[in-house]
Parts: sequence; structure tokens; C-alpha cells
Amino acid sequence: MLKRFLFVRGAELIVLSALASIPLFINNTYALGLLTLLAIYGILLIGLDVTVGYLGQVNLAQAAFLGLGAYAAGICVTTFGFGMLAALAVSLLIGLILGGLLAFPALRLDGPQFALATLSFSALAITVLNEWEGLTGGAQGLSLDRPLLFGMLMDAKAFYWLCFIFLALVWVVMRNMLASQWGRAFEALRDSTIATDAMGIGTYRHKVAGFALGSALGGLAGGLYAFNFQYLQPQSFTYDLMVILLLGVVLGGRKSLWGAFFGACLIVLLPNLLSNRLLFELFSAAGLLVAVIAAWRGWMNLKQLPFQALAPIIAMALLVVGGYMVENTENWRKAIFALMLFSVVVGLPDGVMGFAARFLSKLFKIAPSELPTASKLEEALPSRQHTGDTLLELQDLKRHFGGVKAVDGVSMKVCAGQIHGLIGPNGSGKSTVVNVISGLYAPTSGEMLLQGKPLPKGSLFKVARVGVSRTFQNLQLFGELSALENVMVALRGVYHAPLPLVLLGFARAEEQRARADALALLKLVGLEDQARARAKDLTYGAQRFLEIARALARKPELLILDEPAAGLAHPDVSKLVEIIRSIRQCGMTVILIEHHMDVVSELCDVVTVLDGGQVIAEGTPSEVKRNPKVIKAYLGMESEADASCAVPHAT
Amino acid sequence: MDNTIIIQMIVSGAFMGLVYALIAYGFQLTFATSKSINFGQGELVMLSAFFSLTLLNLGLPFWLMVPGGLLFGAALGLVVERAGVRLALEQKSEGWILLTIILGLLGFSAAENIWGRDDRPFPTPISSDAFQVLGISITPLEISVAIGVFAVMGMVELFKRKTLMGKAFEAVSADRDAAELMGISATRTIMLSYGLSGMVAAMAGILISPITTVGPTMASALILKAFAVAVVAGLDSGFGVVLIGIFLGALESLTSFYLGSGWREAPGLVLLILALAIRPNGVFGKSTIRKV
Repeated sequence: MLKRFLFVRGAELIVLSALASIPLFINNTYALGLLTLLAIYGILLIGLDVTVGYLGQVNLAQAAFLGLGAYAAGICVTTFGFGMLAALAVSLLIGLILGGLLAFPALRLDGPQFALATLSFSALAITVLNEWEGLTGGAQGLSLDRPLLFGMLMDAKAFYWLCFIFLALVWVVMRNMLASQWGRAFEALRDSTIATDAMGIGTYRHKVAGFALGSALGGLAGGLYAFNFQYLQPQSFTYDLMVILLLGVVLGGRKSLWGAFFGACLIVLLPNLLSNRLLFELFSAAGLLVAVIAAWRGWMNLKQLPFQALAPIIAMALLVVGGYMVENTENWRKAIFALMLFSVVVGLPDGVMGFAARFLSKLFKIAPSELPTASKLEEALPSRQHTGDTLLELQDLKRHFGGVKAVDGVSMKVCAGQIHGLIGPNGSGKSTVVNVISGLYAPTSGEMLLQGKPLPKGSLFKVARVGVSRTFQNLQLFGELSALENVMVALRGVYHAPLPLVLLGFARAEEQRARADALALLKLVGLEDQARARAKDLTYGAQRFLEIARALARKPELLILDEPAAGLAHPDVSKLVEIIRSIRQCGMTVILIEHHMDVVSELCDVVTVLDGGQVIAEGTPSEVKRNPKVIKAYLGMESEADASCAVPHAT
Repeated sequence: MDNTIIIQMIVSGAFMGLVYALIAYGFQLTFATSKSINFGQGELVMLSAFFSLTLLNLGLPFWLMVPGGLLFGAALGLVVERAGVRLALEQKSEGWILLTIILGLLGFSAAENIWGRDDRPFPTPISSDAFQVLGISITPLEISVAIGVFAVMGMVELFKRKTLMGKAFEAVSADRDAAELMGISATRTIMLSYGLSGMVAAMAGILISPITTVGPTMASALILKAFAVAVVAGLDSGFGVVLIGIFLGALESLTSFYLGSGWREAPGLVLLILALAIRPNGVFGKSTIRKV
């Protein structure tokens, strides 16, 4: 534990103090220029990593935000005579506001559409910078003088220290933020937007916040960039720069401040790398070597597809051979970037620092940070006393898809503290009913009341916030997060610290509490030993149980389990029954959709049977099983004689 | 007088818009089968145009060059699918966005070094002498663009409807899993769609080169507008792209007339962002139901 702390913090301290003190020993202006650029690109890439790494979106607008921030600072200084810090604040705000505005349409977008939106935004930004000549000077460019800082004129050294201080600040603040609930929420929405809303975390607000934050850092870097070069041209911020920035983040390693820093080093050194023949040959040979070693190891562990092993080798071999054949490597710089990027994206998806982190923690045997002892279940999941009131009431609920009447007038009541079964043949509308209750679909008509108050319609997020939590028939876990983080990110009523405190690192206590509570819930479903495993690496059964633990983290009034036993092996089914029993003992109200009749008979107090989108029977499990309508719905038979073999798994 | 100029602007713009529509149609082909598009499609247009120009310079007659260029485009499409898309689709990730951007960059750099950075004229036997229709001047070259665009689209649509492979294409587009259960290989169908898409891109390159000249950057603005057309119309909108393409071509022609040529790209970009904000599935696209 202490070892880990010393290692991680020690490395940070060493690098930061080295960066701070270098100018004391050297007076080389060229080296100082490179260091200044390193700090600026460091900030820029940390910002880009928020969207590319944590939100998992291909963001092609960061170069444009750099440009917009740079021009904002430049115009503030030349036209309005702002001081240094005021101008930098404006660049930061410009990034924040425009980033937020651009993120608004991104609400409903992901993947290619998001990439397209950012691509168009950048092209538009460059057009505006080029054409609004009155303000920006157009293609002629904009010259400016470095403004005063507190009335002092800054020389190159002083300016470097200023950039360095900003980098260090950004580093610390982002480290705290990304390790908090915010960072988890970013990653959660990357892996499943539906579950992020259904767990009451909020996809929209976090997506907008994450993108605005990353863009704000881009704007800040732009301000520093303007004061560093003191001359701006729209052409500097086009697509070419964007590709280089992506190269930095991806090669350095996504989701890692160190990765962003490494990427920045690489970007700063690239021009030297390309112009120096020997350096380039060494570099490409090293790349080929890494690709071969990685392929060999992947082949030994049988972890990689052949393509993943071979493609980087081919790309790197092209780089080596091409390096000998072409006369001037600078002319081929784009191809060189492309080959490097390609190899990393295909063969080393975690980037260099991701690889290094794994390697180093093995080499020095650094254990992952210790977990606290679990809270008492009582604290994580307060138990309730019920008087048997109606908790949820559906009144003539309908949901039609075009001509298909998936749910056609369902009325039912769910009593507090009971396990209410919802069964019916395939296509009878069970899943649609819970999808309407939980807000995935808005009802076509009808009312839903939770504790007598109308339930919000058509919004997973709002429904989750009023106390309904659910699991999914097709699992919607946050695959890249650990089991523990999956539960932590959904926890309700734990995170109270305001954002500034979180950023400054004063929210450790509630993090610790969240960990303890999450462990208690993992214990409830029998996963406390696998708390650190990534959700996507768990067995299928364990994933189902993890979804239940995550849903419980909301401390809901009503828990909806959508076919929790689907696809489970027999021992896991018994385990599931045990888990649901212990959930009931806490006084939780549960709606259980299930096909396994034995599970339903064993657990449910009341069962509602649907067919063709309508309720055909309701009662205790044994009553329902004898109901001729139910038998007919399942098997199309009416005679009492056939009933004994009718209902599946009936015992 | 003023009216004639405006109509002239609209008509000339509309012909350009047809080329945007053709490239956007290429996006639709791959999106239908795999829900992915090639972000480096512009480079396919450009590389195919350069290759066709080389064929011409080697002394090949124009009518033989066209199939040669189309084959080259189809081959490039297959390369993109193999190197940039298949792995990501297997991993169910969106890595293909980045990978196709990277492949485009590689193609761009190769073109820059093989053919040089300068723009070159593209000889064509079709005349660019204008004739007058109701006071509007139209060139045979523009007419050839329209004919070429509709010919390619028509051929691909016929292929999709009349041949067994084409029906496999439609089946995978409608429901990939069901098609696979019926014994249709989705991987091969996706390959086919990328090949077709590359061919369509090559056709766009051959059609537009005589008008714009050939150079490494010839498609960088073109591709943004093709994206805009594809998104505004909807990535599954079929012939909706033709209408939107014509509309956008006319709109930007008017924009550059009234605001100056520097603003030429702006309407497409603004429309794209607006469409994403208001109708992410496009004007003619079908809305989808979220499923869990």
C-alpha cells in the first residue's frame, strides 16, 4: 500500500521537480522552447484524453479549440488590452462555452456521428478564423506581444515557469477528478449510456461536462500557445495538427495522465525525430522490435487475433524499409504518423504507458491499493418496514409500436415489501411493461403511480432518480470498470462533496465510504473476492449478480429484475434464489420477470400473467398455475387433463 | 438579369451536388451492412482519380480507363475493409473511426509523394463549351456528371435487387444475425459493400476531376460535404441523398456568390451540425427504437 503510494506519487514528484528545475541549469533557448511546448501540449492532451479516453469518443475538434483559445487570448490582448491572466481566463472560458454548446447536439450522438460533428465544427472554426478578417486578421495572421503578468514583463524562462505551473495544476486537478465519481461516470457512459441513465447517474450532464472540460483545457493551452509564439495563423490548427494530437494521446496511452504527458513529449520531439536520419532509423527499428515482441507474447498467450499480431509488424516493417528507401523522411511525415498510429491502435490499444504501467507494477511487485473493510449491509442498504400499502400502480397502461400493441391496457398493483412476479409467453409484453415503467419508453397512454405520485414518463434518468432501479435482460454492465466501481458509480446518497473540493482532493473520506458500501453489496451477491476484476472479465453468472448489486446501490424503493435467471447454470440459479431472498429480507419490493417457473413459485408472493399485451390472470403462484387461461396461453390447450404437463418447469 | 444569375448559380451548384450525393451514397452502402463508414473515403476518391490519370497518361483510351479506375477504387475499398474495419467490427468497438482516418492519412501521404503536391488537369473527350437552355448555360461536362452519377447508382441498385449476391447484401442490411443464420456470410457481404463503396468513390473521382483538376487535396473539402449530405439525408435514406445533394450544391453556390468564396464550405458544415442536433437520423432516415 505504502509502496504503491510512494511509487506513484514519487514518480510524479520526480518528473515535476525535474521539469521545474531544468531552466535553472541550462540556458539553451531552443531547449527552453521545447520545454514550454511540452507543457502546453501536456495540458492540451490531458484535455483531449477526457473525451478520447474517458468518454471514449473520437474527438476531432481539439485542434480547433486550441486555435479558438489562442485567437481569443490574442484578440483580448491586441484589441482590448487585457493582462495575461485575464486573457488566459477568457481562452479557458471560450473553450468551456463552445465545448458545452457543441456537446449539446452530441446528447443523442455517439460514435461516427459524434466524430462527424466535431470534424464539421473544426472545419467551421477554421473557416471563421480565416474569413472574419476584421477580428482575426484572416490568413495574414495575428501578431501580438506577450502581455504583462502583474505588471511584470516575462522573459522566456519566466513564461516557461508559468506554463509549467499551469501544467502541474491541471495535472493535480484532473487526477483528483478522474479518480472521483466524475471519472467513473465518464467511463460508465462510454460503456453503456442506457445503464448510466438507468442508474440515475445521468448520461447527458456528464457527457456535456466532460466534453466542455476537455475543450476548456484545449482553450487554456491555446492561450498559452498564443503567448508563446506571439503570432497566429488559422492554418496552424487544421486537421493535420488534430491527427498529431490523436497520435499523442493514443500512442501515449488513453485514460492516463502519464500517457498524455508521454504523448506530449513525443509530439514535441517529432520534428527532430523526422529530420535526424539516424534517430529515425533507430526509432523505427525499435518500433519493429516492440511489434515483434508483442506479437510473440500475444501468440504465446493465445490472447490476440492473428491480425492484431501481424498488422503492426507489417506496418513497422514498412516504416523500416520505407525509411531506407525514401530520400527525405520529412516529406513522408504523414505516412509515418499513420503507420505508427495504426500499429498502436491495432496492436497496443492501451498505449505505451498502459503497457509500461502493467510491466512496472509486475516488475516491482506493486500491489493494487488495499480495499477497506466492507460496511454493514444495514448501512449500504437500509432495510424498510412495510405495512402492505400499494407501492406501484399501473392504470390501463398502453404502449404501441406502430401497429403492434406490445402492451395494451395493463393495470396492476405492486404491494410494498412483496416480490411480484411478471410472467407470460415470449412476446407477451413483459419486457415492454418494465421498459415503460423504468422510462426507456414513454407509454402511449395510461398512468403509472409510485407511492401515489405520478412516475416520470420516458426518461430512464428521471425514473431512476425517484427510486426505481432495474437490471437488464441483455446485460448492460460498465465493462471496463471493475466490479467494485460498477457498484460505486451507482451508489446513491454517498457523494456530497462539491466539485471544487473534489478537484482539490478533499473528498477522500466519502470515496472510502463509497468503497466500503459497495463492498457490502458485492458481499451480498457473493462477489467480494472479485471486486477488482473488470466487469467484462467476469463469468456470465457473476455478471448477472453484479447487475443486481449495482441496481441495489441505488437504494431503490422498487427493484425490477428482468429475467435474472436467463442463461444461468443450475447452481447459479439456486444462488440467485438465495440472493433474492436476502434482498426481500431487507424489505425491498421487487418486480421479477422470469421464465423459470420454479424460481417464480419459490419466490413470488403474487404473480401477474400477461399475454398479448394484456393481463390474463393474477394471484399466488399456485393459483396462477391452475388457471386455464394461463395454460392456454402457454400451450394452447384448454382441458384440465393437460394442465399437469402444461406450465414449463412446473413442479 | 439578377434572376438569371441566381438560377445559373443554382443549376451549376446542383451538378456539383450530384457528386456529393454519389459519395454519400457510397457511405450508405457500407453503413447498411456494417453500421460503419470510411472516414478516409475522400482519399479513395483522390487516389482513384490519380490512378485514372496515370492510366490516361500511359495511353489508355478514356473508355478503358473508366473501368480500370473503378476496379482500382474497389480494390482500395477492400483494403480499407480488411485493414481498418474488420478487426474493430469483430471487437464490436468503434476503432474503425480512427483506423479509417489513419488509412486515409497514409493514402494522402502516398499520393503527395508519388504524384506530387500540385494540381493537374484531367483530360476528357467531353466538351466543356457551354450551350444555352432558357438562358442558362450548361456544359456537356456537367451533363456527363449527372449521367455518370445516375448510371452508377442505378447499376448498384439493380445489382442489389436482381442478383443473389445483391439479395445477400439486402438481407445483411436488414438483419445481420438472421442473415448469418440463413447461411449468408456477413463478413463477405461487408467486404462486398466496401468494394462497391470504393468503386462508387472512384466514379466520383473520375467524374469530378475534369471540372476541379486532380491533386492530393482535391477531396478534402468534397468529403466534408459528402458527410453533410449523408447525415442530413440520413445514412439509411436511399435516394434521399440525391435531393439533399442537389440542395446543398445549390445552397453553397449561392453562399459563395453572396458572402464570398471563403464561406463556400460553411453551409454544409452548419447543416451537418444542425441535422445532428435536430434529426440525428436525417431528414429521410428512419428513427430507431432503443432496445435493451
